[in-house]
Amino acid sequence: MTANEAAQLEDEGRKLEGKYLTFALGKEEYGIGILKVREIIGLMEITAVPHTPLYIKGVINLRGRVIPVVDLRVKFDMPEKEFDERTCIIVVEVQGSSGAIQVGMLVDSVSEVLNIGENEIEPPPAFGGSTDTGNIMGMAKVKGEVKILLDIERVIGKVALEKLSEL
Amino acid sequence: MASEARSMDDYLDEIALKILMIEPGDLSVVGELLELAERLIEVAEEVPYLTAMVKTFRQVLERIVMGEVADTAENYDRLAQCIVQLQEIARTQEADDKLLQFFCEHLTAIGFPVTPEELSVAGPQETGGQDAPPAAASTSVDNSTGPDFLQDQDLISGFIAESFEHLESIEVNIIELENNPGDRDIINNIFRTFHTIKGVSGFLNLKTINELAHTTENLLDAVRNGDLTMDSDVIDIVLSVGDFMRTMVQNIKDVLEQGPEKFIEYDINSYLERVRSVQKEAGRIPPESTTLAEDPGDERGGAPPVPPSEAGTEPSRSASPATSSINDQPEPKGPVHKGQLGDAIKVDVEKLDSLVNAVGELVIMQSLVRQNPQVAAIADSKLNRDFSQLSRITTEVQRTAMSMRMVPIRQTFQKMIRLVRDLSRKSGKQVELIMSGEETEIDRNMVDSIHDPLVHMIRNSVDHGVQPLAERESEGKPPIGTVYLRAYQKGGNIVIEIEDDGQGLNTAKIRKKASERGLIKADEDLTDYEINNLIFLPGFSTADKITDVSGRGVGMDVVKKTVEKLRGKVEVQSQPDKGSLFLLRLPLTLAIIDGIVVRVGSERYIIPTTAIQESLRPAESQYSTVHGKGETLTIRNKLIPIIRLYEMFGVEPVQTDPLQAIMVVVENEGRQRALMVDELLGKQEVVIKSLGAFLQDTKGVAGGTILGDGRVGLILDLAGLIATGKRRTTGAEEAETEPAEEMF
Repeated sequence: MTANEAAQLEDEGRKLEGKYLTFALGKEEYGIGILKVREIIGLMEITAVPHTPLYIKGVINLRGRVIPVVDLRVKFDMPEKEFDERTCIIVVEVQGSSGAIQVGMLVDSVSEVLNIGENEIEPPPAFGGSTDTGNIMGMAKVKGEVKILLDIERVIGKVALEKLSEL
Repeated sequence: MASEARSMDDYLDEIALKILMIEPGDLSVVGELLELAERLIEVAEEVPYLTAMVKTFRQVLERIVMGEVADTAENYDRLAQCIVQLQEIARTQEADDKLLQFFCEHLTAIGFPVTPEELSVAGPQETGGQDAPPAAASTSVDNSTGPDFLQDQDLISGFIAESFEHLESIEVNIIELENNPGDRDIINNIFRTFHTIKGVSGFLNLKTINELAHTTENLLDAVRNGDLTMDSDVIDIVLSVGDFMRTMVQNIKDVLEQGPEKFIEYDINSYLERVRSVQKEAGRIPPESTTLAEDPGDERGGAPPVPPSEAGTEPSRSASPATSSINDQPEPKGPVHKGQLGDAIKVDVEKLDSLVNAVGELVIMQSLVRQNPQVAAIADSKLNRDFSQLSRITTEVQRTAMSMRMVPIRQTFQKMIRLVRDLSRKSGKQVELIMSGEETEIDRNMVDSIHDPLVHMIRNSVDHGVQPLAERESEGKPPIGTVYLRAYQKGGNIVIEIEDDGQGLNTAKIRKKASERGLIKADEDLTDYEINNLIFLPGFSTADKITDVSGRGVGMDVVKKTVEKLRGKVEVQSQPDKGSLFLLRLPLTLAIIDGIVVRVGSERYIIPTTAIQESLRPAESQYSTVHGKGETLTIRNKLIPIIRLYEMFGVEPVQTDPLQAIMVVVENEGRQRALMVDELLGKQEVVIKSLGAFLQDTKGVAGGTILGDGRVGLILDLAGLIATGKRRTTGAEEAETEPAEEMF
């Protein structure tokens, strides 16, 4: 590793440190930057919207605003699971093509807010082949557990939206 | 008198010139300098630092004359430097310690030791002792301020917004004037516009704009006084001055937003020349215009001649010259002018949006409370009365909130008058624009967006639709071509029509071109209507020679795209040699639409009531299939294709048997479909809410709404639905079942 690369990595690590909301999907623990999170709401009735990708569960009424809900399990090709009382919708704010938009994310359960330091974060592993790690900002090891830090903009933000419109 | 007073800058410049010319031993020039310095002291009374400095400067000169200070070229150079510092201080209008320091150093080097402290102390003391006439001082001072107009950004941005408004009104007024020549009210309006711009720009030290506005104002004043007639020359020049001013104001806006490096010093001389030459032809040039050219910044010179008879009726005009001569802060102009705008206030669109949203919520919450079983169980007549009172109030609030976002389309339409006027001039055709429905209200957010498509279509109608005079005569049409621009509300839509009495579209050539481009198959069975509407396809308009082929189609896809972004539709209807008609259908965004709530499986959808023709449970005799190509419903001898909503939307249905289900017959742009649903739940007024950028382009869904129980219901987009259904069935079935409806 050249000094340059090391410095860059260090830079990224520093940029990544901060507070994360962690949540569970199956056995995996994920984290998203706390600043992106608007609120966490319990499961409510979702209205399905036709002709949309499977991972878009539909829309909900968030105090008069209609916002889309993404099922992260489907988005990540994980088996779907019956909703239960722990199922939550995390409302995040991402950059849409014309300004900020709010999007709900269905997750199995919300865990906690963690302060993750830069020395706890490692770059995303390269699995090679079909596994796309573009969504992952880094891996955090906290108290012996691994948290996958998601780049939420890439999961459901503008980048993802552009892909959606190509469908 | 103020007119005699010369500004400090003038004196300083003169002194600087004299000092440069001075030769050692030529004391007469020093005498002249002394005289100038004396006058400068009088003028510079208001600026204590400067007074002290000039006085010191004068003392040095006196010593030179008396031989106490050496009369050398070197010393004169130093004096020249001192003047440079004086000029600098005069320009910035504040005492700069550094400059003062330099000033003193130079004088000390000459042999006249002086310290900055002495100057700053001596200043006020000496001034107190002297009784120079202060009258002349005040007005001249502000002329020395530099061109830095960025000092007060709030005022500037206010000026920008107002100027744009005013400039727009110029256009509208001018065009009205063309129709009613000699209408003094209109001339006064135009005059006032330039007057206001002149006043504010003068105050903000925007010299070029000020000068141009002033000169134009003079011209209009001559028109008002009857010295000049408002002929097409005058109108042309006023219009082009208006355009140019817009450019200049835009530049200031750019500077404000993107930094001073964007600043462009516009050359207004050609415009000034034109205005003056027009005025000269009339044989009357007010003396102000020439003085002003020399000294554009002079507020006094810029004040218009105010006929005393009108002073009372126009407060802003009578007030402004007075204020500017009494003190140097003509702010009163702003407020006075604002009063003229009428009783309107400007509100941030975001605030308006959140109000509309909140009101929507209020209405929904109210119905939630009312539908609550426990509340509904209360049998109290007072409660019922109160509830109906409450809903009356909320409805009223909602209506008002909605209407605040709506503006008449008039403004947009009026811009078209100018366009047609310019176009007909350019093309040498006589074209008349007849408008109707200008009072139709349209969502504010849409106003800007529809402007470009309108321009495009009108341009097309004038350029290509209306034939040249000779051709028109040979066809027996009236020599003056007509373009109609109409707006009206139809159901949940605003419809804008642009119709011309020209040659119409050349359907055969469009067809040929489209098949050459591979947009359609050569033998595809299409109605004329369908072929004509091919001009909106993107691939079609890229044809470079389309103008020669059909006379139409250039950039029509842009129109379509813009209109579709507004969730609207555009189509063209054409009759050979009779003309063509462009139809723009725009939704009343945010307006409440009336809808029928239907249930399909566990989902509820809203169908716009305006689109619904009838609903029925079909009898067996009405239902038939066209060999496997699709199902149809026969109503009054018409075959209507059936769309199974559950199939299209992938919903688990309750009814799969068409004879047990409910059929809702809908119509969209001449096409009929029977939508198969499980149940009709009722009629409801719903507020359209966007599904957000994420799901905006969902096929068949126009938007969402919050239903009475707080859940989201989807509003069906019938056009999208039918288009999707069309792709699923075959084109042949289309043609079989409804050939008549798509022709006209």
